Amino acid sequence: MAEDSTLVLSLVEEFVSGLQDSKAKDAAKGVKDGQFTILQLVEALGLSLTSSQPQTRARGVQLLSEVLQEIYGELAEREVELLIAFYENRLKDHYVITPPVLQGLRALTKCAALPPGSAVSMLRSLFQDVHVQSLMLAERACVYNMLINLMETRESELKGLGADFVFGFVQSMDGERDPRNLLLAFQIAKNIIHRGYDLGKFTEELFEVTSCYFPIDFTPPSNDPHGITREDLILALRAVLTGTPKFAEFLLPLIIEKLDSDVPSAKLDSLQTLTACVSQYEHKDLAEFLEGLWASLRREVFQTSSEKIESAGLTTLTALTSCLSRSVLTSESEDSLSNFLDLILKDCKHHLCEPDLKLVWPSAKLLQAACSASMRASHIITAAVMPSLVEQYTNRTQCSHRRTLLEVVQRFIQSVTTCQSDSEQSVFSAFREPLCSMVFSALSESNSSLQITATSVLTSLAQQAGLLSDSDIELAVDHMIRLLLTEEDERVSIAVIDCAGALAELHPAVFIAKLIPRLKREMFSEPMDRDNREASELHSHQAVRQRCLSVLAAISSQPSVVQESTPVLLEVLSSAHTGGGLFSVDEVVSACQSLQKIAKQAQDTEETGRCFHDVIIPRLLSLALQAALQDEGASGGRSPLVEEVILSAMVPVISTACSRLQPTLAGQTASRAVSLFLDGDVSFLPDNSFPSHIQLLKKQQGDSWSQSQMVCLLIGCVCSLPRSVEVPQIDRLLSELEDMSYTCSHPLSYTSAAKCFAGLINKRPQGDSFDDLIQRTMKRVFSTLDSNSSSVRIQAFTLMIWVAKALLLRYHPLCTALTDKLFSLLDDSDLGPMAADSFSLLMNDSADVLNRGCHADVRIMYRQRFFSENSAKLVQGFNTAPQEKKSNYLKALSNIVNKLPKQVQVTELPALLSLLLEALSCPDQGVQLSTLSCLEPVLINPPPALIQQLEALVSRLLALITSPAMSVRIASLRCIHALSLFPVHEVLPFRARVLKAMAQPLDDKKRLVRNEAVKARGEWFLLGSPGGR
Amino acid sequence: MSGGTRLENANPVIFQRSGERLLTASEEDEDVHDPIDDREIFDMIRSINDPEHPLSLEELNVVEQVRVKVNDAESTVGVEFTPTIPHCSMATLIGLSIKVKLLRSLPNRFKIDVHITPGTHASEEAVNKQLADKERVAAALENSSLLEVVNQCLSRSI
Amino acid sequence: MKEALSLVQRLSAHPDSRCWFVSWNPNGTLLASCGGDKAIRIWGREGDSWICKSVLQDGHQRTVRKVAWSPCGNYLASASFDATTCIWKKKNDDFESLTVLEGHENEVKCVTWAPSGNLLATCSRDKSVWVWEVDEEDEYECVTVVNSHTQDVKHVVWHPNQELLASASYDNNICIYKEEDDDWECRATLQGHTSTVWSLCFDATGKRMASCSDDRTVKIWKEYPSESGQDLSWKCVCTLSGYHGRTVYDIDWCRLTGALVTACGDDAVRVFKEDETANPDEPVFSLAAQVTKAHNQDVNCVTWNPKEAGLLASCSDDGEIAIWRFQEED
Repeated sequence: MAEDSTLVLSLVEEFVSGLQDSKAKDAAKGVKDGQFTILQLVEALGLSLTSSQPQTRARGVQLLSEVLQEIYGELAEREVELLIAFYENRLKDHYVITPPVLQGLRALTKCAALPPGSAVSMLRSLFQDVHVQSLMLAERACVYNMLINLMETRESELKGLGADFVFGFVQSMDGERDPRNLLLAFQIAKNIIHRGYDLGKFTEELFEVTSCYFPIDFTPPSNDPHGITREDLILALRAVLTGTPKFAEFLLPLIIEKLDSDVPSAKLDSLQTLTACVSQYEHKDLAEFLEGLWASLRREVFQTSSEKIESAGLTTLTALTSCLSRSVLTSESEDSLSNFLDLILKDCKHHLCEPDLKLVWPSAKLLQAACSASMRASHIITAAVMPSLVEQYTNRTQCSHRRTLLEVVQRFIQSVTTCQSDSEQSVFSAFREPLCSMVFSALSESNSSLQITATSVLTSLAQQAGLLSDSDIELAVDHMIRLLLTEEDERVSIAVIDCAGALAELHPAVFIAKLIPRLKREMFSEPMDRDNREASELHSHQAVRQRCLSVLAAISSQPSVVQESTPVLLEVLSSAHTGGGLFSVDEVVSACQSLQKIAKQAQDTEETGRCFHDVIIPRLLSLALQAALQDEGASGGRSPLVEEVILSAMVPVISTACSRLQPTLAGQTASRAVSLFLDGDVSFLPDNSFPSHIQLLKKQQGDSWSQSQMVCLLIGCVCSLPRSVEVPQIDRLLSELEDMSYTCSHPLSYTSAAKCFAGLINKRPQGDSFDDLIQRTMKRVFSTLDSNSSSVRIQAFTLMIWVAKALLLRYHPLCTALTDKLFSLLDDSDLGPMAADSFSLLMNDSADVLNRGCHADVRIMYRQRFFSENSAKLVQGFNTAPQEKKSNYLKALSNIVNKLPKQVQVTELPALLSLLLEALSCPDQGVQLSTLSCLEPVLINPPPALIQQLEALVSRLLALITSPAMSVRIASLRCIHALSLFPVHEVLPFRARVLKAMAQPLDDKKRLVRNEAVKARGEWFLLGSPGGR
Repeated sequence: MSGGTRLENANPVIFQRSGERLLTASEEDEDVHDPIDDREIFDMIRSINDPEHPLSLEELNVVEQVRVKVNDAESTVGVEFTPTIPHCSMATLIGLSIKVKLLRSLPNRFKIDVHITPGTHASEEAVNKQLADKERVAAALENSSLLEVVNQCLSRSI
Repeated sequence: MKEALSLVQRLSAHPDSRCWFVSWNPNGTLLASCGGDKAIRIWGREGDSWICKSVLQDGHQRTVRKVAWSPCGNYLASASFDATTCIWKKKNDDFESLTVLEGHENEVKCVTWAPSGNLLATCSRDKSVWVWEVDEEDEYECVTVVNSHTQDVKHVVWHPNQELLASASYDNNICIYKEEDDDWECRATLQGHTSTVWSLCFDATGKRMASCSDDRTVKIWKEYPSESGQDLSWKCVCTLSGYHGRTVYDIDWCRLTGALVTACGDDAVRVFKEDETANPDEPVFSLAAQVTKAHNQDVNCVTWNPKEAGLLASCSDDGEIAIWRFQEED
């Protein structure tokens, strides 16, 4: 025992007189380990605490407080009680002692064993004896933390203090300037408000002491270590100010005043604060301020020059209106919502009658913002404005005025949609008739902008549940048919097609009954007396057909429509095949594209999928096969269906449809397709009059390609099926495909065979047999490539690149052997350029095979992985390659880098920058172009490595603005434009040089180049100039 | 514009913006020389921002394509602009912005004349004379507060 | 017409900027230029070519609009848009800034030394013309501020042998000033141009004056004894119109040969010769030579070399100086 007291005394001595700070830790450890108790420590401090030197007393208290910070969790209630009494007493001591006292008290507020009543007594002493704002920053933080701690654990006791607590807090924070402490103080204020502390008569004081910081005007110092942002403070203060309706009478006048400010950020903060507070308010809180608030909001929207403020103002108006809409209407109370809306209508409605003046739009936006707040608001406002909008529309004759009115109407419909539920009757029911006649009259005008606006109004009206009648829809469809058949303006047809798509989803029957038959008649009508017709008429007839083909796809979202529309499209193909020349190759391609679109957008995949499986796919295969088998010497020439463009357009129809098939149908498709291509089994095809010995995958007589190229359709059938679907006879199929890819000399045939092979192996399960297959394939490919005399090196190369892609996507280890071979071919005198280009094939998504849509095995980030594994090889290859081969490496590099996600480009750039800069000075325009297109996105957010190389970059880019290739000139100017957005101090030194160099492209012979130069030079002029950047 | 200031013309007539120029096949043909034409000049100035309103000069009908005349062969450009009201105090500033935009955007072989549309402004002659005086224009652009306003009119336009 | 103006040399004098003005020193060995890059450059002949001898920077905050040599050739004055006029003193081959004359409210447009070397005149956009006196200690004192124009004063020039000053203005007029009881007064206002008068110059005798204007004409004015004997009387005796396609920015009358040269906004330099047989009250000038594309942009200034007949310098918005030789046909 005596030993212990010696220990504690020596610790005290060393800390207090010896000024050894570390002894506090030792003392805390002593208490924790039970060597002495906290009260023994207090006793041991006796001498220092009674010293006549305040510094010594402070040092003594500091030791105790530091120990308490370590061990507050282990104190007993009795100890706590004594310590609190001790500390409260010390608060009355000399001011130098206050900091350690507060430190100790803060530690005690964290005690679980705080005796009842002690929180109150601590706070009373604190509020009474300490003037918080004369303390230093850290001590003030200490006080706030005490309050926060006690509020967490002793809420009911604190509430027992009544309004005194609020008053004490108000006095404590009054005058606080430090942002860190403000965050704490705002947190306390927020707790007071949100946790229901009694504000008593101090509501206004609490408001005053916090609102004096509004709007927050704080810019953190550039080297701020605390990371407090202006936004943090704004949000913390906003939570206080908007927390209670009791503040309404003080806050609302303040906001009205601050909205008048010239500082945009103050306006914005005011608007957002207002939006936040009204969600807590009731109409009576707002009543007396509504006129003032409206006047401010109106001014901000009418006169604003900032979209941000305008949109914040509109959001606020919506919030205000929806607050008023929440009030329950009783017979005797004033209807504050309708009074408020009257104010808005009085100021805005008449501007809607001036569709050529500036204020029409701000007025419409304000009304629409109010309209979108609630059903009641939208009823009141639409009832007030719709009749006059309709009347204006009828009275105005200028198309631009009518269009503005129609757009205003459109926005009203959309604003109502946001607050209307489907079960309710549409707000516009009362205006159905005038609205429809407005739309139909606009559709009948010859002005295309007006027609386009009318189609979007029509779409919005149709989406209002139950608004339009069947006869309205029929009339609308009549208008659409007329426009599709007669209107030349492409923008109008696009708008009509979109509108038809939206309406057909809701009203399929009308489209089946009216639109499809009418379009079909038009498409299959022979242009009368074709020889005598003007070329322009023929041209317009073709345009009509293109529109019909597009609209057939657009309307086919419901299965019932698909049943009717797809036969028309198929008939286009069969009509082209049977001859007569009714349809051009382009039209047949469009028909295929429409079919693909239908396959893609089908909502009910089961019913539509069956239609594709049962009818469309067999029909397409049958037509293609008939064309392929046609005697080449047949009279009337070959069927257009052997054309590569048409076949290539059929592939995505089949593959899109197959990728969405149900498992059973998918399996059936696979086995039908395989037996057709391997065994010539044509039993599932319609029009079955085919010869019996069809061998599509075998080398044809005389190297004829009309049958061999059919293999591209096989890709569609088997490469896009879900991975679970078993492809029958897979080994035989793969081996025949591999053979075919060597034996054919027809590019579409051997490329398709290679793609099909690749598409299939990508989905094959891992394992030894798979590896054996790949090894065999590789061996044959390599030996062909290594034999320079081989006549099928290109074929072998094609197969290699597709197999490499198939393996790369699934991270197969054998891929490396193939890509290494590819790198070595960059030096090949024949295949070098092709090898360089093929990197773009490896990195790009392929449209018809090996993509995620086809259920291919595509691992995430395979590009990054490929890049990180190979970039060093490329750099090394570049460095050792002979001069004339270097451009192949640069092209390969730019092909790879181009496709990397920007994040990766930015991190990899430092290593590659010198190579990319080299690529910019490579004489190959293709390399220049692809390097520029890879640089441009990186320049938008330039990594430091790039900034260090600015001099080289600027020189090389400026050298390219006079390139003989227009596309290079344009791309380099875009990059130079992007440079102007770099940090000003980095690019300013280049300003004069860039401006001078860019005088020349201003006089470029090509307008597109001049346009880029004008934009870029304009930005560079603004750089470092007042009002610019 | 701050909330307190009153605009000279708070509710001006708004005109439709013309669409983007349609791309022609010859513009994409490397070998064809595209002369600088009226539309190209108009495209340079139509989106200049009005100093008072958040609207472009085109939307306020201050500039119109029919009032732009270029002769590429003779290297001359003439632009007439129409202030929204005859006493518009911003007329010189608008003219200056148009002139500066053209000076920055055209090859320097061009002689650029910017005038007020005859009969549309009370101080037409005085404004025209100022805009034609290159010494005054040069001095104005060395005045940073004036340059700031001009740059603001031009910067939002791109 | 035989091409009688031949290019001697072209100098990229103020790159990335415009060259506003060039001025020969009195013995014709040095040429000073100034421009939008706020700098003054001094050019001298070395062998067959003209090279930059020195660059005077940091004297002005804005465009240097004009430069003028003192009659002794040891001082150079520069007028700038920064509202000041700088006096530079020649020291060996270099120049040092001696003093800065302040007082004008805004852009100083022109500065010029009287033949005596004791007086200096400046003019400004503030519509005033100031006359400064120079003493032996190189102290400059403003003796008069005259406000006779209603708009910017573009140019001031001294009579070759009398203490007589002429100014040209944006108000389309020319004013002529004389000293009266220690004060300078406007004694005549010459009206006739229909737009800004950009420049003017006296002939060798000082009896005639040539002015050029934004109205695309050149006018010749002649002094006549006035009836009252007090006021000066100048009359326009000849107007050259139809020659210039745009604003005529500068004109110079060769004191050795009597030939006139003009600088024009249509990029051309033109030389006019007087028909010596014509009636002196109705002089006739004809175009003797012109270079239509003398520069790529507006020609701002032309000036004859004071000692070497036929040698002249011009400068332009493209930042270049061109030196030309005018050779007459026989």
